[in-house]
Amino acid sequence: MPVLECKGLTKRFGRTTALDEVSLTIEPGRIVGLLGPNGSGKTTLIKLANGLLTPDGGYIAVCGSAPGRESHRLVSYLPERTAIPTWMTARQLLDFYGDFYQDFRREAAEEMLDHLGIQPAQTIKQMSKGTREKVQLIMVMSRAAKLYLLDEPIGGVDPATRDYILSTIIGNYNPEAAVVISTHLIADVEKVLDEVIFIHQGHVTLQSTVDDIREDKGMSVDALFREVFKC
Amino acid sequence: MQWQFSNDAPIYTQLIQQVKVGIVTGAFPPGERLPSVRDLATEAGVNPNTMQRALAELERDGLVYSQRTAGRFVTEDNTMINQAKRSLAERHVKTFLEAMLRLGFQKDEIIALITQELGEEEANHASA
Amino acid sequence: MLRKLLKHEFRATGRIMLPMYLVLLVTALGSNLAGRKMLDGPDILNTLGVLIVMAFGFAICGVMLMSFVLMIQRFYKNLLQDEGYLMFTLPVSVHQHIWSKLIVSAVWFIVTVLAIIAASLIVAFQGGFLWEMLDFLRYFFEGLQKLKITEAFNGTIYLVEFAVLMFLSLAAFSLQFYAALAAGHSRANRKMLWSVVWFFGFQFALQFLGSLLFISLDRLRIPGFLNMNWDVAPVAAIHMGLLFMIVCVVIYGAIFYAVTAFFLKKHLNLE
Repeated sequence: MPVLECKGLTKRFGRTTALDEVSLTIEPGRIVGLLGPNGSGKTTLIKLANGLLTPDGGYIAVCGSAPGRESHRLVSYLPERTAIPTWMTARQLLDFYGDFYQDFRREAAEEMLDHLGIQPAQTIKQMSKGTREKVQLIMVMSRAAKLYLLDEPIGGVDPATRDYILSTIIGNYNPEAAVVISTHLIADVEKVLDEVIFIHQGHVTLQSTVDDIREDKGMSVDALFREVFKC
Repeated sequence: MQWQFSNDAPIYTQLIQQVKVGIVTGAFPPGERLPSVRDLATEAGVNPNTMQRALAELERDGLVYSQRTAGRFVTEDNTMINQAKRSLAERHVKTFLEAMLRLGFQKDEIIALITQELGEEEANHASA
Repeated sequence: MLRKLLKHEFRATGRIMLPMYLVLLVTALGSNLAGRKMLDGPDILNTLGVLIVMAFGFAICGVMLMSFVLMIQRFYKNLLQDEGYLMFTLPVSVHQHIWSKLIVSAVWFIVTVLAIIAASLIVAFQGGFLWEMLDFLRYFFEGLQKLKITEAFNGTIYLVEFAVLMFLSLAAFSLQFYAALAAGHSRANRKMLWSVVWFFGFQFALQFLGSLLFISLDRLRIPGFLNMNWDVAPVAAIHMGLLFMIVCVVIYGAIFYAVTAFFLKKHLNLE
């Protein structure tokens, strides 16, 4: 069973169409890059999969059911902004995730926080922007979910943090799950992806494996992306 | 191990090459257990599935073998390692020759250049 | 899951409300001392005493204002701003979200009322105060003994009805704010402005419907609602009045609950 499936999925915001009849399937055990320029519909697709938006047409299913309370149990979502309450301490945040998600691996999260030198009594407010993003990612990746939806996990952070984030993703995801990473920084994520989906102005223009692209076209996904989305 | 990737070839073929280099240079010594797929993938910063695919290929070639529960090991067969070393060397020589021929060098010129370069290197070593 | 939501909601709000209550009680204690010792004393002490009493006044306003602000702010910030991304992807239903916010803010409203009463008693406390209180209680119970059983019974029920009415009114009042915020934030732009517009829209609709109800009941004269010969004892009339108001408040609250749930479920539009 695919972990994420869309058919004819359409979403409009007023007069602009953010997603136009998008159909795609994502199978378990894959790390998939959702690639497109800013404003191409990546975030809209991820928000629809999380039930944060309701579609205007078509359907979207996560692990076989429409986004909702059931799917939230199975999906681990990293929003493109910091959503964790800043007044919480690291320990309170661990309590929060542990209380609401049965698949939360608290020891793994504690170990990663410890590795970053974060004290349990430290509040999120006291942390730098980069540390907050790392902490949020640690929470998300400490769940043994069926689907990880990571919206721009490496946008706006320095290269060292980027490496840290990518290795945290590879080192912690549940191998029976699918990971979807949305980004426009392709060169950085290309090596960790199995598959890529190009999305452009609300349309899916390509779905292929990274090595197929490299083999068939003799160029990296990054180079192909630059060619396809040339301004 | 230093992992580096170019943009023109599939990642799994590059991984095969680099693990081979690791085995030949002794970064992964004969008979030693390899790190787990996930650890290797994390270290190289690549997708675990791709790493898995590369190791499976190496296993088919016989350079590594797996023991059901203990994991993957580097072969203890030195002839096989030497063979791999030779084939890696041949590849380097081939690409080198291609580049030289493209620059318009003749065979004897190439040999002369190499001999001269090797001689200089020896002299450098001797003086140092 | 509602239990867990409540736990974390109390954590989030308690860290603000509990220190406020502490300040209230400390300033109440200070005011008590000031009233007895400082205000008749030398100038410096007198000024200090006045300042402490003023601080107590501010503390009372502070807790009342804060329990109100917190009711709105928790709903707005935790559900409709960035934190909404986290909250609305928890394996929790929209109804549980609304109830957790509603219950917690209602509890703080009640605690605030109790804390203000307690603080006032502290301020009024004097050497003879306990005895006066005991005297008062004695008179009170003596008075109670003179009551007929029906009067005592009705009196208790009035109190219960009144307390229920107050509690429901606070909850319904909160729901009107929730509904306005949820509706306003379903818009793409100017969410806060739209929320204010919705709030006053609701207010206007309520008053309009309310007066329409009474006018039509009066005009129609079919059941003769207002002209009916209300042949009931005054005691029963007060019960009926209170119960009628409770029913009205429940309907008023239920409508805004439904509006809130509708917008959060169907038209969630986080920025």
